[in-house]
Amino acid sequence: MTSLFEGYQPGPGPDEMFTPEGQVRPPYAGFHHRMSPWDADTFIHRQEIADLETMNGGVTFTVYSDDTGTERIFPFSLVPRIIAPSEWRRLEAGLQQRVTALNRFLTDIYSEQRCLRDGVVPAELVLDHAAYRGRMRGFTPPLGVYAHIAGIDLVRDRDGVFKVLEDNLRTPSGVSYVIENRRTMLNTVPDLFPDARVEPVDDYPEHLSEMAVAVRPEGVPADHVRTVILTPGAYNSAYFEHSFLARQMGVELVEGRDLVVDNDRVYLRATSGLERVDVIYRRVDDDFLDPLEFFPDSMLGVAGLVSAYRAGNVTIVNGIGTGVADDKTTYRFVPDLIRYYLSEEPIIPNIATYTGWREDDLEYILDNLEELVLKPSDGSGGYGIIIGPQASKETLDAARIRVREEPRKWIAQPVLDFSTIPSFNGERLEPRRADLRPFIVTGESSWVLPGGLTRVAATRESYIVNSSQGGGSKDTWVLRAEPDGQGT
Amino acid sequence: MLARTAENLYWLGRFLERAENVARLADVNLQASTEQLAGSPSEAWEAVIATLGAQEQYEAAQAQAQGGDGQTQMQVSPAEFLIFSPKYPISLISTISHARSLARETREYLSREVFEEINRLYLSTSRASTQQQALPALYANVKRSVAAILGLFDNTVVLSEGREWFRVGLFLERADMTARIIDTKYFVLLPSIEDVGGPIDRYQWMAVLRSASALEAFRKGHRGSVSGPRVVSMLMFDRDFPRSLAFSVAALRRHYERATEQTPDSRAIRAAREAALLELDLRAARASDVIQRNLHEFLDEYEGRLNAIDRALKEDIFRGRPDGDEEE
Repeated sequence: MTSLFEGYQPGPGPDEMFTPEGQVRPPYAGFHHRMSPWDADTFIHRQEIADLETMNGGVTFTVYSDDTGTERIFPFSLVPRIIAPSEWRRLEAGLQQRVTALNRFLTDIYSEQRCLRDGVVPAELVLDHAAYRGRMRGFTPPLGVYAHIAGIDLVRDRDGVFKVLEDNLRTPSGVSYVIENRRTMLNTVPDLFPDARVEPVDDYPEHLSEMAVAVRPEGVPADHVRTVILTPGAYNSAYFEHSFLARQMGVELVEGRDLVVDNDRVYLRATSGLERVDVIYRRVDDDFLDPLEFFPDSMLGVAGLVSAYRAGNVTIVNGIGTGVADDKTTYRFVPDLIRYYLSEEPIIPNIATYTGWREDDLEYILDNLEELVLKPSDGSGGYGIIIGPQASKETLDAARIRVREEPRKWIAQPVLDFSTIPSFNGERLEPRRADLRPFIVTGESSWVLPGGLTRVAATRESYIVNSSQGGGSKDTWVLRAEPDGQGT
Repeated sequence: MLARTAENLYWLGRFLERAENVARLADVNLQASTEQLAGSPSEAWEAVIATLGAQEQYEAAQAQAQGGDGQTQMQVSPAEFLIFSPKYPISLISTISHARSLARETREYLSREVFEEINRLYLSTSRASTQQQALPALYANVKRSVAAILGLFDNTVVLSEGREWFRVGLFLERADMTARIIDTKYFVLLPSIEDVGGPIDRYQWMAVLRSASALEAFRKGHRGSVSGPRVVSMLMFDRDFPRSLAFSVAALRRHYERATEQTPDSRAIRAAREAALLELDLRAARASDVIQRNLHEFLDEYEGRLNAIDRALKEDIFRGRPDGDEEE
């Protein structure tokens, strides 16, 4: 019998479980001990049980490779990410800090615009941004919260420090997998859990519900808040999550056609007639939310919804116009925003990012292009990216010309060798790069779900963790701090 | 509750009940033909197609498969049409697949257990073998799984309007299917005169009872030996037998009333009236009269009244225009 860990060779970046010398890091000690007797057959057997459970539970996403749309399970790895209590406390504080600053920023750019006058962020960057909703200026949502639900992507860099990779403030998804992954782990590998020391994750829906009550429109009694979740429909790739959250929160899952606006009030088409709606947790993008306001052809939205929102009769979660704050270029300025609004140093650093909006950054990009990753600022899904160390001289020269022509369209970052976690390759464990998306829920205050979604690349070589690229996920364990004293 | 979700739950109830009925019907007919008591296998399949009222669809499927030139001898087998092929909306696979889509869209009203069982039914049937000898196992799986779903539904889904809509759909479908089973036996499979009362006739009536999962109940009721009038009387008018017309319509009416407790009469009254009148007419009818006069006509009219209930639900409740004066 060969141990799964035999011959484990960490990759170029740091490994979450092992030190470069091959020692097990302290948070993983208990887990490593419990998994050590396993061989490949044990692993395969348990994985089959876990996958079957996932399939039976309908925990699937839709892949549109043909007309019918096939449902797949999100590949799931039985080796979790494990985070020590002290490290988590720091991340938690850093995430709360970041989301607080981002909400202050959003409130500011839709009201006084102090940060633009003070030159913290270039005014045109915000005001000319496609996701800036100028008509929302002068309206501040309840409690000044725009990004009620934030997913902040983190990676552990070469130096061993967690850094922010990206902010997601529109409709971040993935939280259902966090809860389902934990359930699957508890059902299929209970023997791998340390003794009652992992922070639970299944109270997330309660926090969502409390947040909805906290941000309800003025005049609605706290015990009569009618919340709904707005989905684009059953064919959306994230439909499982929409349905999951509705079920967990005990609220109705609606589509645009189920809602109607009359006299700036939003109603649900119920069997008994029309029923008033107070809070809409929407999983539909701004552009499709209201055909009268945004894309006129949208079939997913509700005519008049934005007007009802602006009249303060309904709260939309997340608020309208958050997209300007999670942009790749805005990201460059978030540490400055934290200093500006909170007079604090950022707890979780950014990855060094250079933007053509700043003279000094631009010079740096042009001088160091062969060592940087160049990205179009408005792109996503990995399109148009130039990886300096791998690019030819011709490509780099051409890129320099394009950056000079339109400097504001580009950002550049150093090549990242972020950390790996052991994953099973069919025979043994091998390192795979993984990121971490914690979820932050903000109502009266910001609450961070312990852990978050750990996404993992499909192969040893890959840097890409997206599910659309075959990436998978892992459970994330935040270990509980040892109690100070014995409970009585 | 949300009108669209109510409609989805109603159809979920209907499709699950239909799937179980199709499996049971096909199973009974398969057995009968194996024992050579109900004609050849192809006649047995035809009877199932007739019961489901799908002759025209079947002929159309055949015509399409033959490519219109009359030359290609591509046949759509009855098993393909009724059981396996997702191409035909009437097939057992399609029915289960519809049910599963609806369950996915109404998950917030179901319990995890119910959804998982529906999903398991879908996954297992969509991978099932299409071999003839695997059919009994498939039918058994469908019947057991639907029974499990209904049991889980009873025991894990909270009392709510959505639960009532599911039941309304379930009982409307049952009221319809049992009537079709009776109707088919009486007129499509009518035995030749000399067979009446003979062993073949009795066997076929036993098959009808089995089709309605009613044989044991019949015997427990000490109704005497199996005969056409006794079977018909039980399946139509026995208010204590859970698959009879009388029972199904009464249950339909009761669940509808609960589902619409909060609904104003302007939306709810039409279907309520139809259901209540149908329930009372079934109670008032005398079995012997109905059988002696014209059973087929009675069942025809009855089917029309079920359709009227379905139409009223759709027009007044599920897709009714919101009246402006009902707000708040």
